[in-house]
Amino acid sequence: MTAEQMLGTSLLLGAFVLLAGCYGLLYCLGRLRASRRLGRAAAAAYLLQGITAGLLALSSLDLWWKALLLASFVAFVAIPPLTWRFLERLHEPQEHHS
Amino acid sequence: MFRSQQLALKYFAAAMTLFGIMVVAGLLASTYYIHDGFLLNTLDFSVAKMLHIDTMIIWLLMGFIGSVYWFLPIELERETEGIKLAEVLFWIFCAAVAVVAAVFILVQYGPATEMSLWFINQGRKYVEAPRWAAIGITLVVLVFVYNVVATAIKAKKITGIIGVLMVDLIPLFGLYLIAFPSITNLSEDQYWWWWLVHLWVEATWEILIGCIMALALMQLLGTARRIVETWLYIEVALVLGTGILGLGHHYFWIGTPDYWLSIGGFFSALEPLPLLGMVVHAVYDAGAHRMKTTNKPAFFWVMAEAFGNFIGGGVFGFMMTLPQINLFTHGTQWTVSHGHFAFWGAYGCGVIAVIYLALQKSRACEQLDGTVWKWSFALLNIGLVGMVGALLVAGIAQAFYERAMGGSTLQAFMQGQANVWFVQGMVMRVIFGVIFAVGYVALMYDLLTIGKRRVAVAGVKPRVARGPA
Repeated sequence: MTAEQMLGTSLLLGAFVLLAGCYGLLYCLGRLRASRRLGRAAAAAYLLQGITAGLLALSSLDLWWKALLLASFVAFVAIPPLTWRFLERLHEPQEHHS
Repeated sequence: MFRSQQLALKYFAAAMTLFGIMVVAGLLASTYYIHDGFLLNTLDFSVAKMLHIDTMIIWLLMGFIGSVYWFLPIELERETEGIKLAEVLFWIFCAAVAVVAAVFILVQYGPATEMSLWFINQGRKYVEAPRWAAIGITLVVLVFVYNVVATAIKAKKITGIIGVLMVDLIPLFGLYLIAFPSITNLSEDQYWWWWLVHLWVEATWEILIGCIMALALMQLLGTARRIVETWLYIEVALVLGTGILGLGHHYFWIGTPDYWLSIGGFFSALEPLPLLGMVVHAVYDAGAHRMKTTNKPAFFWVMAEAFGNFIGGGVFGFMMTLPQINLFTHGTQWTVSHGHFAFWGAYGCGVIAVIYLALQKSRACEQLDGTVWKWSFALLNIGLVGMVGALLVAGIAQAFYERAMGGSTLQAFMQGQANVWFVQGMVMRVIFGVIFAVGYVALMYDLLTIGKRRVAVAGVKPRVARGPA
């Protein structure tokens, strides 16, 4: 790996996780405010994460790491909605009480 | 107030004092990078750095211990068992820390003999405390474990959180024993030493702060026990599932078998996943309570913890954790940048949140808000983000010019140190360090005067918050 490749790949890796965070945050805010615009912004963040994953697939990382990144990209899509649904179900009895 | 809670307040006071010493030592350590020869032969870089990282460990540990002493009697509805012993050991702990710091500053180093290991410095990063002091710390932790377990047994009540806490205290105590051996083979020594450092930080402490946050959320937001306990179990499973073998990312390049590259890289790549779940949880909680709380500073510090942990641990960690990248970044300022952000996000913010909660109760303030905490919150976080940003720039310069282009030779090291990006990064780190220090002063002012000065709460006429009963 050359110096340029190292720098580019590491920045892409950081962006990959940061965009996952943006996607999660925007998804939650969209659900909280019932806002379609925020929902679309969340989808855009996830799309950008996908582009980052695509660029990482073209990087000089070993095939094994590329496969892992693509797999985690797929996993990231489910985390916010699943966590949200789980939290709603968990909070339901308390909200009924109050 | 229970005696256990009074002890907790003492622990918090000691923790915040050590936090201040950590800040001063950090500022000193950062100054060496921009002024060659600064305090040379008086207080060398190695001593300032040692003070900085050791006080960081101890202030957080004292914060955790204080937090447990604060919540334990509330959770188990009785005084902590063996509290007298705990009170005595608190003072011994403080005296030991003061003596060790004095030895570090005044004696600094000794001959390569057993005597130095026992009385001056054990020489292992993060656990440099001489052996007599390390035995003292072991005793304190042992008594702390006894306090928790004996109180639960006497109360005949083991809640989910206390159950997790009790199990977690075993490795908290057991792993510290790795601080003692002096193995002469460096690879072997590093191999075991990482068990202590990584498994404390990315497993035991994570669970400990998870328990503390669960107790804090019940007090702060009135969240139902069922919810915080369920979430705690999930967090424990995910953090341990990804964190324990994430240990492998410290085993790169220290002479361990190369299968650690795959194990470390794989589990480190999974570590951001539970952190994203925590961000979702934080936003959900903030929305569910419509940001309404009687303790705004604690609430914001809890939020800062969720986001700080994700960005510091997740984003900054992931940038450099895969072995192909880590080959170049390992041990540069890039790592330092990640370390600062992750420690602050995962632990520092949480401890500060609990201190605000404890002070609200101990000083009987119905509502905590105002201006000073906002200043301290902003200055500390801007200072921290600025510092880690500057360190990141310096670290990238090192990895790029010194490691990847220069091939890690001595000449490349010297060129890397003189590189303009590195030099400017180090200057910016000092500047943001000063901002962080100002934030610390504001934080201390706020903590010392809560409930003692006039406060203005939105929509409420300025009034004097009630003092201690």
